[in-house]
Amino acid sequence: MYLSRHLRLLPKANIARSLNGGGVHYTTASSAAPAEDSPIQIPNRIQRSPTDLLQALAGTVGRDSTAPHYKYHDDPFLIPMSNAAKRTYAMSKESGRKAAQWIKEEHRDLFLHHEAQPAIEKFAPSMVFTEDSQVDETSLSQLISQGELKDAVLVYSLLEKKGVAISSDLKQSLLELVCFYNNEDPLPEEWIEERWFLQNNRRRERSGKTWKDGDLAEKLYSEIEPKTPESYAALIRGMAKYLQGERAFALLQEAAEKRIQLDTNTYNSIIQIVSLLKDTAEQRWQLCTDLLQEMSQQKLRPNIGTLNAVLECISTFGNFKLARTAALKVLPEFKQLGVNPSLGTYYYLLIIFCRERGPVSHIIVDILNDIGGKELSIVHPKDTYFFATAMDVCRNHLHDKSLAKKVDALLHTGKNYDLIGDSFKESIYYRNFLALLCQTETIEDFMQTYDQLVPNIYIPEPGIMEEILRAVEINGAVEHVPRIWSDMVVFDHTHRESLLLYVLRIMVNNKPSTDSPAHQQLPEQCAKVALDMYEKVEEAVKRLRKVSFTGQMLGDILTLLVRGDNFEKATEVFAHIDKNQHRIPGTPSETALQEFVEASIQNKSPSQALTALQYAVDNNMESSTLARRIHNGFTLNETHLAKLKSLVGESFLEK
Amino acid sequence: MANSLTRFWGQGSLQKHVVQTGLRGFSSQQNPEVEEEEEFRVLSLRTVKQQFQKRREVKKDPVTPPRSNRMAVDQDWTAAWPGPRSFHPASVPLPLRQGFTERGAAAPSKFANAELMKIPNFLHLTPPAIRQQCEALKKFCTPWPKGLETEAKWQRHFPVEVITTDYLQALPTIRNPEARRVTVSLKLSDLKFDAHARDKFLRLVGDRYDKDTDILTFVTDRCPLRKQNYDYALYLLTACYHESFVTEPWEATKSEADMEVYLFGRNKSKLSAEEILNWNAAEGAPKVEPSPSYGQSVEQLINEGENEYNLTKYKEEVKKMLNIASQ
Repeated sequence: MYLSRHLRLLPKANIARSLNGGGVHYTTASSAAPAEDSPIQIPNRIQRSPTDLLQALAGTVGRDSTAPHYKYHDDPFLIPMSNAAKRTYAMSKESGRKAAQWIKEEHRDLFLHHEAQPAIEKFAPSMVFTEDSQVDETSLSQLISQGELKDAVLVYSLLEKKGVAISSDLKQSLLELVCFYNNEDPLPEEWIEERWFLQNNRRRERSGKTWKDGDLAEKLYSEIEPKTPESYAALIRGMAKYLQGERAFALLQEAAEKRIQLDTNTYNSIIQIVSLLKDTAEQRWQLCTDLLQEMSQQKLRPNIGTLNAVLECISTFGNFKLARTAALKVLPEFKQLGVNPSLGTYYYLLIIFCRERGPVSHIIVDILNDIGGKELSIVHPKDTYFFATAMDVCRNHLHDKSLAKKVDALLHTGKNYDLIGDSFKESIYYRNFLALLCQTETIEDFMQTYDQLVPNIYIPEPGIMEEILRAVEINGAVEHVPRIWSDMVVFDHTHRESLLLYVLRIMVNNKPSTDSPAHQQLPEQCAKVALDMYEKVEEAVKRLRKVSFTGQMLGDILTLLVRGDNFEKATEVFAHIDKNQHRIPGTPSETALQEFVEASIQNKSPSQALTALQYAVDNNMESSTLARRIHNGFTLNETHLAKLKSLVGESFLEK
Repeated sequence: MANSLTRFWGQGSLQKHVVQTGLRGFSSQQNPEVEEEEEFRVLSLRTVKQQFQKRREVKKDPVTPPRSNRMAVDQDWTAAWPGPRSFHPASVPLPLRQGFTERGAAAPSKFANAELMKIPNFLHLTPPAIRQQCEALKKFCTPWPKGLETEAKWQRHFPVEVITTDYLQALPTIRNPEARRVTVSLKLSDLKFDAHARDKFLRLVGDRYDKDTDILTFVTDRCPLRKQNYDYALYLLTACYHESFVTEPWEATKSEADMEVYLFGRNKSKLSAEEILNWNAAEGAPKVEPSPSYGQSVEQLINEGENEYNLTKYKEEVKKMLNIASQ
């Protein structure tokens, strides 16, 4: 429990008024007050809202790149280390909350106590409506104001059965509710994590019409007599939202014939689905301008929704030139009308101007000049698409590092990170950002960014990991390989053969020079990585995973082990190669064998060297140099000499 | 052992034929099994299918090393530990040790150390964190009022202190009954009294007045709301003040036995002194009054008790009054 003690000082005037009330002076003591000095000046109180202080304090907290997001437990065992784990952990936490909610609903009789003061409505068990519950108009209007769609519809049908007359206002608000949600219960707002991870599934659903034809909404609409502009607006918007284009447009025309004044947002919803109504770009543009004309005739003031709807329509044009000119015509006109573009507007501009096969456009530079450094807030649903698209343009369209950094700076200004959208868009954003940086930045700078983002903010997919490895290979920065390998193990990338080969190739081709102190530990570390990989693959083979050894891979592992002075393990690996000759496709490279023979010379183990030679002979590899090396390196005894002779003949004695 | 058992039964068969056959049959059946593994055989009356399925090995994800290993030396600690929180070894890059071990051994390290988790830590209140928070809060602060720089100054302008308390607690209710309590205090010297009023006021307020510090304090908690209690406290102050100036008729009936101090003017000793001074005085001659300093010394002697100083003072005054020349 916290307590704060308030000390308030009452000014003299206040107290004197109450003590000397009535103008009677009882005082007999000398009434000469001490001489007043300079008058006091008390500054006015600075007004603040109840949460202003908290927000100011929260503003001092930065992001710690080593820590996970605060929704996860900060504990090594519970920090998610892959995209799947992130999703699982967050969702399971939320499913706990759901379970609690379910218990609350299931055993509602146990939760009737109201301890909270003031009472919290959300904590009380919700009302249950059944076929035979007593309902009236007020309960319906209450349900509608709470947005309880299912219960509202049930209560409405009950009222209808009873024959209770429902006022047309109430019907109108029910119609609006039903049209907004298409008579389907929406995902409750408190499931934040579900919303955060949901978006990539919904994208697939969104292609076709989902409006329920002839359902409750249309029934309600037909019951409202006479038709009001509001009822038209509600039904048109609902149909447009759930992509029932034809009928929405027909309704709009019907309203126009009846001279019913509609509002701006209804026109916006129709403009948004113009692409469903017409097929070619010219026709769409024609219809779009017609609709805008109609709006101006009805003296409707366009808003940001109109601008974004028009741009959405334009972005569906296949004709690049028409789209470009139309967009350029629309923008200044809306500027004249005093409509300020939102992030969603810029998103549409980006997809209009920066097309894959279109000419290169630098519109993003102007956009960033316009909004750079500003703190933005959401005004349109499409605002959350901007950052992912902007980064995509930076990478794939312009390939410009400095622009990408500007976009990133904008994202981290103020509360702009709220506009990133959902987990899917966030990962697209960072995928593009990292891929661009690893192609354009020096490896040292890139690794700094990598350390900041991975793994708590973003976990690279295998494709991006390959890009990163490519950057490491180009720069020959073998010192980063152990770090990246440990990340790959954690992110579960170890069953991708291409990535494994990449890692091995980098380590084998960039033999660390033992002179520089930074590289002192490297051979040993590389050997550890190689050994780890060997064990991982061996395990994976047992588990019937896709990955399996190739001769090349084993040869590289062998080389790295030899270089890391781990001869014991190297012999084990070679024994594996030798034993499974027929199962492993390909052979180790000759240099690998040579290095192994060298190592066996150093470790004075001629039998290992001879096995290697035998392997070389069996697999038709260059063996004479090996034989010569073995002969010169060891003082062989008779049996070994005989074996050597039997393998390669007498040729090695010649020199 | 099994072999020896059968051997024993084999020998015994010579004596007990009937038993022997049955037992032999039994032992010869079991023989090979028992030889293989010596396990304790259980009599199972109902045949239960034994399920000795090997447990599937659960694949554990690799656990990452503690994140304190990856923290930079110059990291922003306020971001890593922004609020109060119980200690966590993987998040604090300090080689802390705490706890009791046997003599000579090092104290247990920070990992899995409950001692470190039990004690409250102030890792969120590092000097940089406090500095940052103060900077953030500065924009809500106004400058100190002009003309109130010293304590004496603001005490003169604001003589009355009102103290209330707000409570913030982890309970379903945001209310706390203690929050209704209001304390109003002021220095008595800021109020103006005459002798009677002061006496009466002090009697009215009782032990709400602290004589040593000269501070009068009203604590009110009898009303349910803070506002009501505050109003009530101010009412009390005002009412007591005004009441103290009222002289009731019965106050005149105060007898000598009711006096809390000895007053020279009201007492026999004044009369006696007058009598002595006016000894043999002519009728109608002006009366001689004892000097006020004599009266004071008598009051002091009786009110404060007899001590060397008071007695000497009294002696001096008596001598002065009676015109006895000092030697």
